[in-house]
Amino acid sequence: MPTAEAIKPDKILKELGELWTNIGKPESSEEESLDGGVLRACAMTLISFVDDEEDAAALSETLASLMKEHPSRAVVVRVKEGEDALSARVFAQCWMPFGHRRQICCEQVEITASIDRLADVAAIVGPLAVPDLPRVILLRSARVVRAGAIRKILPLGDKIVVDSARPGAPGFGELGGLLDAGHIAGDLAWTRITETRSLLAQVLEGSKSATISVEYDGKEAGPETRYLHAWLESSLPDTRVTLKGSGSAGPGKPCTVRVDTDLTVQLTKGCAEIERGDVRQWANLPVGTDEELLNAELSIVVHDRIFERVLNQITA
Amino acid sequence: LILMSQETPLQDPLRFHRKAPPCAVVIYGANGDLTKRKLMPALYRLAYEGRLAPGFAVVGVSRTAMTDDEFRDRMKDSVRKFLEDSPFDEDLWHSFAQGISYVAGDVGDPASFGEVAKHLACVEQTHKTEDNVLFYLSTQPSQYAEIAEGLAGAGLNKGKGWRRIVIEKPFGHDLDSARALQSRLQKCFNENEIYRIDHYLGKETVQNIMAFRFGNGIFEPLWNRTYIDHVQITAAESIGVEGRGAYYQEAGALRDMIQNHLLQVMATVAMEPASSFTSDAVRDERAKLLRAIRIMRPDQVADNAVAGQYGPGRSGSEHVGGFLQEKGVSPDSQTNTYAAVTFLVDNWRWAGVPFYIRTGKALPKRVSEIAIQFRVAPLAMFRKATAGAETVPNMLILRIQPEEGISLKFVSKRPGSGMQLRPVSMDFNYGSSFGERSPSAYETLLLDAISGDATLYTRQDMVEASWTAVQPIMDYWATQKFNFPNYAAGTWGPKEADEMLARWGHTWRKP
Repeated sequence: MPTAEAIKPDKILKELGELWTNIGKPESSEEESLDGGVLRACAMTLISFVDDEEDAAALSETLASLMKEHPSRAVVVRVKEGEDALSARVFAQCWMPFGHRRQICCEQVEITASIDRLADVAAIVGPLAVPDLPRVILLRSARVVRAGAIRKILPLGDKIVVDSARPGAPGFGELGGLLDAGHIAGDLAWTRITETRSLLAQVLEGSKSATISVEYDGKEAGPETRYLHAWLESSLPDTRVTLKGSGSAGPGKPCTVRVDTDLTVQLTKGCAEIERGDVRQWANLPVGTDEELLNAELSIVVHDRIFERVLNQITA
Repeated sequence: LILMSQETPLQDPLRFHRKAPPCAVVIYGANGDLTKRKLMPALYRLAYEGRLAPGFAVVGVSRTAMTDDEFRDRMKDSVRKFLEDSPFDEDLWHSFAQGISYVAGDVGDPASFGEVAKHLACVEQTHKTEDNVLFYLSTQPSQYAEIAEGLAGAGLNKGKGWRRIVIEKPFGHDLDSARALQSRLQKCFNENEIYRIDHYLGKETVQNIMAFRFGNGIFEPLWNRTYIDHVQITAAESIGVEGRGAYYQEAGALRDMIQNHLLQVMATVAMEPASSFTSDAVRDERAKLLRAIRIMRPDQVADNAVAGQYGPGRSGSEHVGGFLQEKGVSPDSQTNTYAAVTFLVDNWRWAGVPFYIRTGKALPKRVSEIAIQFRVAPLAMFRKATAGAETVPNMLILRIQPEEGISLKFVSKRPGSGMQLRPVSMDFNYGSSFGERSPSAYETLLLDAISGDATLYTRQDMVEASWTAVQPIMDYWATQKFNFPNYAAGTWGPKEADEMLARWGHTWRKP
């Protein structure tokens, strides 16, 4: 395994170059004559910070699914506890789209580092970013957040994506701090309620409501519920928006939205039931997988003013 | 913007997908092939993506007597069979199917429109469609005017909500009949309520032509007669008419493809930038381009348009019969299964640049593309060491199907000593660069029509300009006795088409 001194961005970039030369070589004369080979695609640099214990296969699968929509140079930083460690390797992820004769490949750099080497990691990862394209940090490492090392890695990205519903993830306070520092931030807990918000926007369009009650399952409102409540509250200043828990055990996710006395929207998995007077209607409410949520979030690399307004409302 | 956000404070344009407003879609010809293969799968897919409003309903109308449940069962089978790239979800179907109902009626019977009106009143009560209705005519074109008049007679062309009518091509079979159809339609619906569908314009890659041209700064300065030598637009089918000989005999390649789809594609390639991406601004520019196409005199047609009909040949290793051997085709049919036309555009941007359009059945492969050939470099400075490679012109290929994408051909130095050049291709593959599933043309166009966005629909002035461009060719060909068949199935068309380009010093590209 290389030592810390051996890891230089130039060396990694050279290895990436060699990797492309090798995977671009046709394996047979037949393949050469078919004008096959690989197609290199890159739309951003995606830098993921994960704890070393996180399932490598699951992460790899997530990144592979992201590559199809957001081909990128992926840099995965696996953060370890304990002894001084820093190593790096490069490899490519390729797939052959159905019916095509050319593979599409994206490059990956995997860096393993102990928490006290994050400053070195920043010095390595910075030059690895693809010029002129967005740099997005996916922060899944609770260790980085706990150790307060977040400030070392923030300058690496144009946008930082977290999931505040994950255990150990940065909370609203840290997210607010990112906004205050001028960063673009994204939270998958916010992305998770996009379809619900879109449906509510449609059913509430043109109506003036006096009260809206957001009900959730559980004793404490989870981040999705708090976002939904704050969004309604900040969007409809003349409406009284309240929060109400079921009191029973539950993850704190939104389950019912009651508007005045005549409209109820029940949110169940994959479906919403809308009851307005004696008319009952159903609407499909697609449930995004983590990959789909990330895909949506990676599509937005500008300040999301509505998200920022809602987050400010929560942290105020 | 401030005003908009006050009016719709809950909207989030950065994140929300466009959603259809509440409405009822009434499909005439609900038992037909188009409804089963395209319309219902597209509507189901829109429901799957949560794009339809909770108050959404589909009313099928056709002559066959059926109950609501029987119609739903038929539609369920069709959606299962023809849904592409998507899973079929039983629960979703259950909720989607609650909005589906059926009315049996003959469009020749005025009372049937009254039945539809009564039914729509019930649908409005149960589904809260806000009295918005989209009539989709998936019927014989000869019934369009009759249905529109029937709807107007029953007062269905007006209501508290909006009313729109969608019709499929062909919009007439020549300029006069297109005008006659329009004069009957416009007595019943306003022009902004008539949506003429051209599914080619709904294809992602056709829309991408506009993004490519007007979303980038580097191509548009080259997009003119100074740098472009000529343009070739090809829509080739590898199959023959496959049992549709009787229908095809009435249409032919020129009417079936060039008058509508390919002239619309040409307009998209050659139009001026619109001042905004709004329906009328974009369609104004397309219409202007179509009106700028030089109209041929009868004595110019023979040199600028070629008709073909396939005879027996081979498709791959398979023997293929000729058009005249197709069922329902008259043995002395003069129908063109191949057409190639040279169009010139009389405006400052394109003066003198030929646009070659060809389409045909039983050609060697299925491919639709636009090839833009640039002029060669003004000085061949590497001539001695290149064996002519540098005289290969740059080409930009916009592929519509099957592998949608864009390729740029240019010359590059071969590695090694000396200055050997060779042509290389730089490819952008639409499907693989974006792993997202592309919506089908009908999903896009249906959602557009329900949302009131007519950008990708054809306007009457565009229809008339297209007919005006092809009418002299049709008139001239009607006076000719062709020696058909004149190309073998599995080949790239008649030799006269090659000669047409040779007169300009050009050759057809082999896609």
